[in-house]
Amino acid sequence: MKLLLLPALVVLAVFAAALAALFRWSLLEFIPGSLQTGGLTLANLRGVLAPQYLGAIRDTVVLSALTTVLTLVAAYPVAYALARTPSRRVRSAILVLTLAPFFTGAIVRTYAWVLVLGNTVVTWPVPMLFTERGVLVGLVHFSMPTMILVLAAALSHIDPVYERAAASLGASPARVFRRVTLPLSMPGIVSGGLIVFAWTLSAFPTPELLGGGKVKMIANVVKDLGLDSFNWPGAAAFAMLALALTLALLTALGRLAAGRPS
Amino acid sequence: MRSRLTVTMLLALLTLPLVPPARAQNALVVSIWGGNWKDTVDKVVGRPFTARTGIPVEYEVGGTIDRLAKARVAKGSPLVDLNFTTTHVARLYISDGLYDRLDLAKLPSSKEIAKEAFRSEFHIGSWAYVYTVVYRPDLVKEDITKWSDLWKPSLKGKLALPDFDPSHIITIAALMEGGNEVNWQKGEARLKQLKDSVAAFYSTDAQSQDLMKTGQGPVQVMLSVNAYHLQEQGIAVKVVQPTDYPGVVGIDTMAVMAGTTKADAAHQFINLALSRDIQSELVRTLRVGPVNPGAAVPASLKGQPGVFLSPAEWKERGYIMNDEARAKNLPGWREWFTANVVKK
Repeated sequence: MKLLLLPALVVLAVFAAALAALFRWSLLEFIPGSLQTGGLTLANLRGVLAPQYLGAIRDTVVLSALTTVLTLVAAYPVAYALARTPSRRVRSAILVLTLAPFFTGAIVRTYAWVLVLGNTVVTWPVPMLFTERGVLVGLVHFSMPTMILVLAAALSHIDPVYERAAASLGASPARVFRRVTLPLSMPGIVSGGLIVFAWTLSAFPTPELLGGGKVKMIANVVKDLGLDSFNWPGAAAFAMLALALTLALLTALGRLAAGRPS
Repeated sequence: MRSRLTVTMLLALLTLPLVPPARAQNALVVSIWGGNWKDTVDKVVGRPFTARTGIPVEYEVGGTIDRLAKARVAKGSPLVDLNFTTTHVARLYISDGLYDRLDLAKLPSSKEIAKEAFRSEFHIGSWAYVYTVVYRPDLVKEDITKWSDLWKPSLKGKLALPDFDPSHIITIAALMEGGNEVNWQKGEARLKQLKDSVAAFYSTDAQSQDLMKTGQGPVQVMLSVNAYHLQEQGIAVKVVQPTDYPGVVGIDTMAVMAGTTKADAAHQFINLALSRDIQSELVRTLRVGPVNPGAAVPASLKGQPGVFLSPAEWKERGYIMNDEARAKNLPGWREWFTANVVKK
């Protein structure tokens, strides 16, 4: 029986070894123009606190929070329709439309947004491409299908009897939604929110292509340091801090959602 | 018994990615970028090499840094025998002892090549190109003829620059202020003036070409090869031969990996790639500049930026950065550039 645990332990060991290697790299001195590294140093971790890198961290947290909220607002009505529409045909149509983006791939979808946001298809009153606004649009679009599916699953578990009971007692549809449906769908909102927030924190292709180098998130900075500056210790330090930041934020959000303030 | 078998199979599956791909036993393995680069080198150099020597050629393709990382991990028993990379990244290979010294006695073709192609005793140029100003005349109504035109207020919001490697624009700004890539700080104030002109920064060749195609970055500091490629696709771009300062030369290089057991075959491959006929074909297919000045160059490419056919042209029409200074300064340049030009 214990042998069944072996594959999981092997996978765990591989991940732990990779993380340990990353941590070790983050403490090695970077020598410009060389692949050789110097002795142990904390300079890489201090370097992450440079203003341009702090800006990327701030932008990442702000964009992730906004993406989570906007995705939730945009996805909720679609998820509601998916869960509650009586017509099987309409449900199938919504489901197909929701899943369709999964079949195109992130890069293709993002390139499509380059055309749409870049005044070639639509003329926008304010610049969209290569701005935070444009990146936000791309991130929300990228996150929508997952949020819709998670919310729809949560909504489908709510027994309509509760809503009918509230309505029969004189509650308006808005009040029924606010006092019954929304609270009962909270588990889906929390799960969807955490998933979207977590993966937006590590978003790479969307800010890379829609940010035009002007909007950088944490993953883009790690790539810049590692692949463009050949600064592997610096990239490792940034990745370690990003990992710590992600864990801290998700823990805090999880506790808030569970009603246990940290 | 059955559970042991299952565990063994699972372990075998997990370790499968660690097993190197099967290669023909006597094959020469060449590491190079994917896409057109690999296809062309295979067609123009690899197949004739096999026809002459009987040695099959196999390729390990990937990005510049992916391949560097793999080479570092495999130090001492390399997975490839011969490596193509840019001349300044080659300095990183050399710094880590990943390259063998070239034996020029085994490279008779090297007697014909331009002296600028001898990058070090470890690596040798395969072809050249420049980073220069490229623009779309249909979207930019004024003529651009000089590097200094990039600072014109009328180009505000139209410029696209590479942020993965800003060394070209940094060097040009320094040259304009009487400096060079070593004392590049002389150009700092001038570089900061470009900030408002930049519409976007690109980090790959594909992004650069997309920005040009869609008109989002109709004026660029661009790789000449990419500009010629766009012209072939019917995008009317103009490749500027700047009249104030030359284009910044890039040289891709070849080297023999340290520890390879096929050093002789690797030298034969390099020798063939440097020969006049093969260089002519590389120029025609990749639209690069030859390192062998005896190569035949199509009329449409003669005199174009990045195509140097004589010592005088190498000297007058291209600026070659010091590889070592570039490799050492690049991380600092990127940091400064991000903080002062890229940052909002």
